[in-house]
Amino acid sequence: MGMQIGGTNEFNSDINVTPMVDVMLVLLIIFMIVTPLLQQGVSVNLPRDMISPDEDGDIAKDTSVIVAIPDNSNFYIGKEQYPLDALGDVIKKRMEGKTPDKRIVYIKSGVDVDYGRVVQAIETIRKQDIDKIGLVADKKKGVTDPSKK
Amino acid sequence: MGMSTGGGSGGATPQINVTPLIDVLLVLLIIFMVITPLKPSRFEAKVPAEPKDQPQVNVKPNPLTLVVAINKETKGITLNNDPFGDVTDTDKLSSKLQQIFKERETNGVFRENTNEVEKTIFIKSPKSVRYGDVIKVIDAAKAAGAAPIGLQIDDLTQ
Repeated sequence: MGMQIGGTNEFNSDINVTPMVDVMLVLLIIFMIVTPLLQQGVSVNLPRDMISPDEDGDIAKDTSVIVAIPDNSNFYIGKEQYPLDALGDVIKKRMEGKTPDKRIVYIKSGVDVDYGRVVQAIETIRKQDIDKIGLVADKKKGVTDPSKK
Repeated sequence: MGMSTGGGSGGATPQINVTPLIDVLLVLLIIFMVITPLKPSRFEAKVPAEPKDQPQVNVKPNPLTLVVAINKETKGITLNNDPFGDVTDTDKLSSKLQQIFKERETNGVFRENTNEVEKTIFIKSPKSVRYGDVIKVIDAAKAAGAAPIGLQIDDLTQ
């Protein structure tokens, strides 16, 4: 380290980049580790830039039941794929012991999925005596909901 | 930096340089501060629970019901059979709903047996419509203040 410039002067005017590189490397490693961990379940092309969805921290909880519909042919709960007829039993099992106000199933559906597929999922869910459905969507940043003043 | 330990004779002074440690910790702190507020959000929709076997008696049609339907071919939106724009432009629907709710508030139109203004809305869409279009309509309705939002799931056309 340290490059000698000039001959006589005792001041060294180099910038020491080593700590910066250290920090950047650590940042890089942290993001590499964290990114796959943050994502729960399968990746879905969610509807974006919505004005008015309510924030709900429960979606990110491990105990909540999320049905993911990434395309027209598959249903997932968590990372497991299930056929439509098996969906009901899995939801029922996951919903056991929940208080009535917590009995909500979230649906994460891709924007290009047919509405009919979503309806099929909803129909299965309501057969388990659940009448609340959360349709997951991304909120547009910096927009306040006009219905809440 | 640099604290003199002991007297004069010893050679190297054993010290831990904590500056890089603090750097890294601060960066960690900042990362978590940035990540935490990214909370997911959702629309809440109601669906009627599976009908029980009891016979249905005296079901009165509600004259205040608002049904928003989406047309499969034209992507047009209708509110109680009157056309209001299409899925690419939901402003028309949104402002009409706002107007209806405002009128109901001033006229005191309440839900039966309650003192809440009737803002229930139902959404009906053919099965082959893109989910993205349906959710746009839900977004517009919710932004206008509609609640609860119901999804019709029986007797949908293809």
